[in-house]
Amino acid sequence: MTTVPATTPTPGTSLAGAPPAVRRPRRARSPWLHVVMVPLTLLWLSPIVFVALIAVRSFDDIASRGLAALPASFTWEGLSTAFTGGSLLRALGNSVVVTACTVLASLLLSSWAAYALSRFAIPGRKSLLLVMLAGNLLPPQVLLVPVARISESLGIADTLFALVAVQVGFGIGFYTFVLHGFMRSLPEELFEAARLDGAGAGRIYLRIVVPLSRPATAALAALATTWIFNDLIWALTVLRSESKFPVTAALLNLMGGYSSSWNVIAAASLVAAVPTALVFFLFQKQFVSGLLVGSNK
Amino acid sequence: MTTGDLTTGDLTAGAPAGRRGRPRSPGPPRGPARPAPARAPLGARLRRVPLLVWVFLLVPLAVELFWVFWPAANSFSLSLLRWDGITPAEPVGLQNFADLWSDPIFRTALRNNVAWVVGFGGLSVLGGLALAVALNKPGRGVGLYRSAIYLPMVVSMAVTGLFWRVMYQPAGPVNAALGGLGLEELQRQWLADPDVALAAILVAAVWRQVGYIMVLYLAGLKGCDATLEEAAAVDGANAWQRFWRIVVPQLRGVNTVVFAVTVIDSLRTFDIVWAMTRGGPYNTTQLLSTYMFQQAFTAGNLGYASAIAVVIFVLAVGFIITYLARQARAEEES
Amino acid sequence: MTSTGTPRPGATSRRSLLTGAGLGAAGLLTGCVSSGGSGGSGGSGGGGGGGGGVVFQNSIQDTAPKAALEALVDAYDGEVTMNSVATEQFRAQLTNYLRSSNPPDVMSWYAGSVARSYASEGLLLDVSSLWEGDGACAGFSEALRSLSAAEDGTQIFVPTNYYWWSVFYKKSAFEKWGVTPPTTWDEFLALCTNLSGQGVVPLANGIGSTPWMASGWFDYLDLRVNGAQYHRELLAGEHSFTDPEVVEVMEQYERLIPFFDPDMASYSNQEATVPMAQDRSAMYLIGAFVTQYFPEDQREDLDFFSVPVMDPSIPTAEEAPTDGYFAAAGTDDPDATLAFLSYLASPEQQQLFIEQSGSSNLPTSPDVDTSSFSPLVQKGVELLNSTQEITQFFNRDSSDALQATADTALTRFLADPGSRDAVLQEWQAAAEGVRGQ
Repeated sequence: MTTVPATTPTPGTSLAGAPPAVRRPRRARSPWLHVVMVPLTLLWLSPIVFVALIAVRSFDDIASRGLAALPASFTWEGLSTAFTGGSLLRALGNSVVVTACTVLASLLLSSWAAYALSRFAIPGRKSLLLVMLAGNLLPPQVLLVPVARISESLGIADTLFALVAVQVGFGIGFYTFVLHGFMRSLPEELFEAARLDGAGAGRIYLRIVVPLSRPATAALAALATTWIFNDLIWALTVLRSESKFPVTAALLNLMGGYSSSWNVIAAASLVAAVPTALVFFLFQKQFVSGLLVGSNK
Repeated sequence: MTTGDLTTGDLTAGAPAGRRGRPRSPGPPRGPARPAPARAPLGARLRRVPLLVWVFLLVPLAVELFWVFWPAANSFSLSLLRWDGITPAEPVGLQNFADLWSDPIFRTALRNNVAWVVGFGGLSVLGGLALAVALNKPGRGVGLYRSAIYLPMVVSMAVTGLFWRVMYQPAGPVNAALGGLGLEELQRQWLADPDVALAAILVAAVWRQVGYIMVLYLAGLKGCDATLEEAAAVDGANAWQRFWRIVVPQLRGVNTVVFAVTVIDSLRTFDIVWAMTRGGPYNTTQLLSTYMFQQAFTAGNLGYASAIAVVIFVLAVGFIITYLARQARAEEES
Repeated sequence: MTSTGTPRPGATSRRSLLTGAGLGAAGLLTGCVSSGGSGGSGGSGGGGGGGGGVVFQNSIQDTAPKAALEALVDAYDGEVTMNSVATEQFRAQLTNYLRSSNPPDVMSWYAGSVARSYASEGLLLDVSSLWEGDGACAGFSEALRSLSAAEDGTQIFVPTNYYWWSVFYKKSAFEKWGVTPPTTWDEFLALCTNLSGQGVVPLANGIGSTPWMASGWFDYLDLRVNGAQYHRELLAGEHSFTDPEVVEVMEQYERLIPFFDPDMASYSNQEATVPMAQDRSAMYLIGAFVTQYFPEDQREDLDFFSVPVMDPSIPTAEEAPTDGYFAAAGTDDPDATLAFLSYLASPEQQQLFIEQSGSSNLPTSPDVDTSSFSPLVQKGVELLNSTQEITQFFNRDSSDALQATADTALTRFLADPGSRDAVLQEWQAAAEGVRGQ
């Protein structure tokens, strides 16, 4: 790491690395930022806007004028079909339950492992960490058949519990890796002090590690949510009852064998994105600025 | 490798944590100094780990072993079989791997996959970093820009594929926009033209990924020490030099995470290709993961598919190991 | 670094996988029970037929047919849990379903080689009783009977409906363009030329995300040039794709290429109907399910003609893929399963399903009263009753694995007809690879 100076930085100081901002008074931002960003933002949103336009068209409009045409009709038919025919609400509920349980369980377990690996002299811990991370690099497709058989033989096939369990197992490596990096950098003095006060490993975990790594955990939770909520492949592997499908599997179902109602698919896709969007925008503060909190105690 | 400190680098917020709140002497450049115990003999070290900590370590490890490594070992052992999932399997040794090398579709998929990792990783990291730098400073509209760039991340890869299939329709928005700009000669059937189909999918995937990388870098930049740069600016360093010499080294912790995320995501890429082209036209956009899925579940060659999976895994581990080894060296030098 | 070697497989047998399972469960449960427990609460029902009625797993996705099937199941006097899953998932999981200790009882599938290989492993329930005496399938045609038989002669499949492939067109559009359906191959080519001259795309197709659509014309040209017998033998591997017979088929195919929609490689089979709905393209060789793709007010306007005969000495043949159900040998309750299958195969239910799904399917039971069906469907029945030979479709007459080789070969050929000989050689090599299993 680079050497560390002894001054306290002011939050919000300009990042001089941004070339246009060099030596300029702080308020006078280059207009170029907006010149570039406004079109870029519009471009970025355009696919979503297009899909939203499809969602409000009628089937006949799409069938006669094509997907790419601008709407000649306006109807909530797509949205209402998605909610009634597609059992979208139930699927959203399943997704929320599975995502919440998976995120909680995997972050809990990962923080245990990260704490153990980062603060204790466990032999071979570096290799262990890398092995755990390597487990995350497997393409899920390759595990489909064995995982289906394992959940079958445990008698938990076709349960949401199995879906949570497999996703916890599959995510632990990466979350541990990330949390380990964070916990490793927590100031040793705090741990020293706690040990002097007679705190054991468990107490230190609860009183120091958990509170201090909250920002990193929150950031990770936001990422994990987008991963888990959007998972399709595990749901397809361990579940077979339609009533237990998460929203991704329900969406796939909507896409049709021979024919697709594009307006319904578009509407359902947008609805399915709402929970992750909510999570991100709720966590956004924590995500970007919350990462600083840890060091300020 | 030494038994000393981990060399995997600090994490996102980890890096700055020690030096934000209170001034610290420019002491040991590595993170928290873990003193002598690390160098004590093995027996002594083991005793230093309380029972509870073993539980903390072993429970998550057991879960991962059970749900990932156990099935993986099973699956990898399938790569030595010829098995359609229905009739009894037949051991064939390394024949599946030998067949891979003479399989033109596999070679295409491998080539595509390398191009994909480089293109997807490179573009999303560069784009994400550039956007993070541009949007790091608060200001009017910045929050809006950030949200807009991040928004695609909330839709799943499969749905992203769906969105972009619409964009790439022959009479769709992309071609219409090119026509509007007077660039008719660039119009094409994006997903049906073997020369551009993979790039077209790449654009869609990067569209979704950039915001994610941007957020990671934004977090990293927040943790950067601005006084360092001010000092460097006083010393006459220009913006570019300051960026490379001062900011980038401080991002090393984030880089590790970004790298891991990128490699994981790019080697696992499946849904988006499946949703957009299924590996077509005539296998020109096949990635290892899509080819593997097709072999396993459409063609029913579970053994052959497992051999492909082994290749993916080796590639992934290779990427990560190379990177971490390089980083370890860099840290030792600094 | 040490991490690479970890998941090295021993020769772990599948059995040891299962026995080892209990061990890890403990670790798993301690880890997840705190939060995962609530997630699992919905799971107690299980996926199989555990005492509580029949589990009916199917891959039906299209809105109207799915609703029709649901209505049928609701009206059944017995407990049935119906799960509709996406076709892709269904295909990937079918083996797991069947091998499960608690399998779904009834599953949707199609007749053909896949069902036979499951049957030869003893995974399918013998449904011969339905085909005997006054069983629901006893009156079905001989063709269906042999289609639904395993290699050892037992019946393992219950066909409930099928559909036909033909060249679909819009009557109003033909009128507008002043053309009539062709009766000979030369007339067909002349019609294509005529339509091209009028600025209309003669042949719609969608081989983008549905590359198997390219096999439709291949099948029909092979049926017309070489006949059904040769076609079956070709798909069974008794002839090479490099044979002069196949080259001749490809030569005919090449003559059609200028008439296809230039955007066909970007369209799915559904999207390809949009230009047709707008009268920008004219004819579409596709299954009768195509009617669902059109706006409601255009469906009455659709008509079809069979791909015209090229060589009158070749017996007439049509493609008619057959759908239906099979049952798991491991079902808990074979009697209830058979009863439900017989319900699905009964003429009344077939009729209800076809009427409600609106998807131009044909009944397999000769006892269904077809008089209330639309004229289009009645014409379809007529077509299939009068043809001499019936095949299904490329993948159903061979395998999904061979279909993948056909997709690659044909889409590449259509993009670059000059590469025909190379394409055929690679196709043959790939086909040998598939059959070498």
